[in-house]
Amino acid sequence: MIRLPLLSTVIKNLFKKPATNPFPKTEPVPVPENFRGKIVYNVDKCVGCRMCVTVCPAGVFVYLPEIRKVALWTGRCVFCKQCVDVCPTNALQMSDEFLLASYDKYDSKFIYVTPEEAEEIKKKQEELKKAKAQAKAKKDQ
Amino acid sequence: MNLVYALLGLLGLYIYVSVMSLLFAGIDRKLVARMQRRIGPPILQPFYDFLKLVSKETIIPNTANFMFKVAPVLMLATTIALLAYTPFGFAPLFATKGDIIVFIYLLTLADFFLVIGVMSSGSPYGRIGASREVAMLVSREPAMMLGVFAVMWGISKFGVQKPFSLSSLYEHNIWELGPMAWVAGAILVYVFMSWLASEIEAGFFNIPEAEQEIAEGTLVEYSGRYLAIIKLAESMKEFIAASLVVAVLFPWQLNMPGIQGYIVNLLIHTLKVFIVLFVAKTIFRTVTGRLKISQAVNLLWTRVFAASVIGALILAMGVSL
Repeated sequence: MIRLPLLSTVIKNLFKKPATNPFPKTEPVPVPENFRGKIVYNVDKCVGCRMCVTVCPAGVFVYLPEIRKVALWTGRCVFCKQCVDVCPTNALQMSDEFLLASYDKYDSKFIYVTPEEAEEIKKKQEELKKAKAQAKAKKDQ
Repeated sequence: MNLVYALLGLLGLYIYVSVMSLLFAGIDRKLVARMQRRIGPPILQPFYDFLKLVSKETIIPNTANFMFKVAPVLMLATTIALLAYTPFGFAPLFATKGDIIVFIYLLTLADFFLVIGVMSSGSPYGRIGASREVAMLVSREPAMMLGVFAVMWGISKFGVQKPFSLSSLYEHNIWELGPMAWVAGAILVYVFMSWLASEIEAGFFNIPEAEQEIAEGTLVEYSGRYLAIIKLAESMKEFIAASLVVAVLFPWQLNMPGIQGYIVNLLIHTLKVFIVLFVAKTIFRTVTGRLKISQAVNLLWTRVFAASVIGALILAMGVSL
């Protein structure tokens, strides 16, 4: 004798609504609290302590000694959140963003602090230094 | 002149059946999806798939011989030729005395060409699929043949015009033969539904293609245009096999004269085919998994063929008593 235990379930299912989320037509399934999405990096808050470089298992961070900041390529990020936990100034945060598909792995949305930006920061820092030195010189006079 | 009309009819049936069989494939996928609480693809998806396959690059393995290219074409050709002998709610186009033999022969031949094509590919996965296909082919046909011959023999006792022709099924049917035949008919419904499921390789019998097990089995080396041809032929064969089941067991049609009578009967027949396929394919493949090839052969010989023998004997007793 053939038993078909699924038969009743299947016939019942036929008259129910599909239990799916038709994503491109609707919003995606909402993310939970503390969801680990793409990293957000705030350059201004960064003090260049290199803790994130030490702790990152995926090698996302490159330390830039001239400006004492880090450059990030989140294409390699594994979303472990260790850099966020270790960052003393909260320059690194996890966002809710998870739709990260791209045609180019060096897309600008994956990179924080490009070489050009680094140059700019360097110039700014130098100007700031000069201004400070001038201010100091005036004070000393 | 008569021959020209028959050829035009064959062409028309070919277009109609290929559209309808692909349409049913779409409905089937949709219904299976709904049974699993999914939305499923659009109903016209098999048409898009077909067009995509036709436009794809066709790859021929280095190890393949010429039968690899010829077999899909022969398979489709056999299936189209089969349309001329298939009852579609009215007598087949080329109905003659004893055309049931041609029907069974052509139905089996289509599978046989598929097996030859796969064997010619040189892929060991394809060979496993082909050997399974042959084992199933040998096991499933006797049950159907015995059932069909018993029914046709019973009907021929009424004194039909063309005994052992598929057109005789529309003159008288098995349910007119009395209470004994009703019991036999119930058994034959089971036999024919099992045969149909194994013919279209659904549910228990999805063994030769077994994607998860032997990498698509029979279809492993086919791509592009040839795959499209095979898919179309298989889908048409599904419709034809279901047409046989409908014609043998549920041949009630309207008696309308003229060309519109043919069209109305064709539509009624299509509806019945869809219902039969819904039970034998859609539901069956949703609620059951696959058997092993040894279990399937065993099942076809001990359960289905034995039931067919019993059904045929009861029918014979009902007719002679």
